[in-house]
Amino acid sequence: MQPKLKSRVRCADREVGEVTRIIVDPLSREISHIVVGDGAGAPERQIPAAQVQAVTEDTVQLRGTSSELAQFPAFRREGYVTIREVEIAHLEDHLHVEPGEVLVPVPELERNVERRTFFTNFTHAVSLLLALPLAFPVLRYLMKPMYAPFDNRWIKIGNVGKIKAEDVGVQFKFKKSVKEAFMPEAEIDKNVWVLKASPAVLEGVYKGKDLEFKDHTGQVVWTNKRDVPYVAYSGKCPHLGCGYKWRNVPKLGRQIFLCPCHLSIYDPSGKVLDGPAPRALDPVPIRVTASGEIEIIDVEFKAGTRAQIRIV
Amino acid sequence: MSGQPSALEKVVAFVDERVGLKTLQAKMLNEPVPGGSRWAYVFGSCLLFIFIMQVVTGILLMFYYVPSADHAYASTQYIIHEVDYGWFILSYHFWGSSAMVVMVFAHMSQVFLWGAYKKPRELIWLIGLALFGLVMAFGFTGYLLPWDQRAYWATTVGVEIMDKTPLVGDFMARFLKGGPTPGQMTLSRFFVIHVMILPAALMGLAGLHLFLFRKAGPAGPFRGSAEELRARTDYFFPRQVWKDIVAMGAVFVTICSLAFIEPVVLLEEATPDPGDYHPEPEWYFLFLFQMLRLKIFSGELGQFVAGVAIPLGFMVFLASLPFIDRSPERNIFKRPIALIGWLLVMTGILVFTVSAIINREFLD
Repeated sequence: MQPKLKSRVRCADREVGEVTRIIVDPLSREISHIVVGDGAGAPERQIPAAQVQAVTEDTVQLRGTSSELAQFPAFRREGYVTIREVEIAHLEDHLHVEPGEVLVPVPELERNVERRTFFTNFTHAVSLLLALPLAFPVLRYLMKPMYAPFDNRWIKIGNVGKIKAEDVGVQFKFKKSVKEAFMPEAEIDKNVWVLKASPAVLEGVYKGKDLEFKDHTGQVVWTNKRDVPYVAYSGKCPHLGCGYKWRNVPKLGRQIFLCPCHLSIYDPSGKVLDGPAPRALDPVPIRVTASGEIEIIDVEFKAGTRAQIRIV
Repeated sequence: MSGQPSALEKVVAFVDERVGLKTLQAKMLNEPVPGGSRWAYVFGSCLLFIFIMQVVTGILLMFYYVPSADHAYASTQYIIHEVDYGWFILSYHFWGSSAMVVMVFAHMSQVFLWGAYKKPRELIWLIGLALFGLVMAFGFTGYLLPWDQRAYWATTVGVEIMDKTPLVGDFMARFLKGGPTPGQMTLSRFFVIHVMILPAALMGLAGLHLFLFRKAGPAGPFRGSAEELRARTDYFFPRQVWKDIVAMGAVFVTICSLAFIEPVVLLEEATPDPGDYHPEPEWYFLFLFQMLRLKIFSGELGQFVAGVAIPLGFMVFLASLPFIDRSPERNIFKRPIALIGWLLVMTGILVFTVSAIINREFLD
């Protein structure tokens, strides 16, 4: 039990006064001292908590006699602040030194209210019901632009005359017009890598089968014939979507596709030679006119998956 | 000298009567710091300072910045080249974000090494981790806003990494991008996340962080007897406040210097053709970037492990730390696993970051 303020203080021989103040250690949050005053003008004494022998509701029994009390230092108020003026965590939880209680009445209407739990739960239920009809519209509102139909337009990207040698990656940059939501139509720069493939490389790309490209409905929109020597790869690295380059690597004694982001390396047939890429480069639909103009459909596949999943 | 209160004293008394200003001030400043003030405790205050400056410079930037795909780049260039001191405000904001990340690392390290995440401060630690996530999200979303090539590609790759989360990855990535590929919708979303959602979340959580910190009180040093601590205890004001202010001053001067020495320069406007640019994230994501280059993290599974599972697993581990490590021992020199673990993580991040930087020259 903690000593209470205003408790009477007794020594072995007689009563010496009352507890005028209580001092708390800010670190341990325990009572470290009580201050005892006799109410008759003698200096208040600061007594260590260890001197307290017993505590009851309204008395504090000290060890030793009243004559020994004088050996304890006189209390100096300037060395202390009240607990209202400092911030000490959980101090109030530890202190039970006020005698009695300070109370305020419960309002008349609040007495004997039944079904308090019911009202609490009812409030929660109503809040939930208010939020619920909003959840779906908000989700749909935010999801509006997420899924767009595929774009199957053919885009002219240049002439095969630019390609001088077999099995060499040639970058074709092109402008693609996009119309996004409310924005004015804009042109963005994109690129594909086109290869005039030797039969061996062509075999590596198509593995003896024509390559079909499908719409989101599963309908075939175009088929790349396995005997057409021109192959176009999407400019997007199948690892994590960066733009890769055509590089001559003297150490390897050959030319390769290299992605500078995470260092995936592909051979001219798109096969992964090294690095973290999960699949080969993605061929895109290509057709070449009689005059040598190259057209492609700018399909894009999700990066980072083993299977090709079309997203554009 | 009539003894009458002056006009100022009357105003103070008027406010105090209504607000309880003096009590509030006393409560704020007179918090005993066990074992006394230390330079090691300045990081939290520095973070608050950096954040406030980011808010100020961020609001200033919004006076001219337009978050649209056809004006974001031009308006950012306008801020840099036309608006008086625009280059400085933007560069301060840019370097401030780096300072924030550095300071978060310092703050987390200090709390970890001091064992201050242990009982009864588990919740402060958890909220701190959420704040760490917010800071990284700030960096990631803010990076897109100038709409130059650097911005575009960091976002492209970053969102692709998120896409690798099983089941929800595709939805999350599309939700964030507002479509299958980055564009106007992505810019709008990143903008609103960067300037509204994240600041609101950060203010709320930082408030809670501080509230709980005050509730539990400072942890103090990890060694020393109760008597030693008591003898050296002082209040938050003035010694700790003084140290905090000096540290804030140093942070301010450093950020200003960086803004002067290395002002922000934009690359070409964002477009899905990278040209000669080699995409790279901001330096504090470089270690992750480099990790994804490793052969062991190749393929579908490898990317998920490096890009999602390891970072997420590490965060979950940090979150469960106070509940796994229940020993009350806080002295780092008596917690060898914690010390070695911290050194390993720091060395790992350093090695991966440096190797990413070294790798640069082989690419050109």
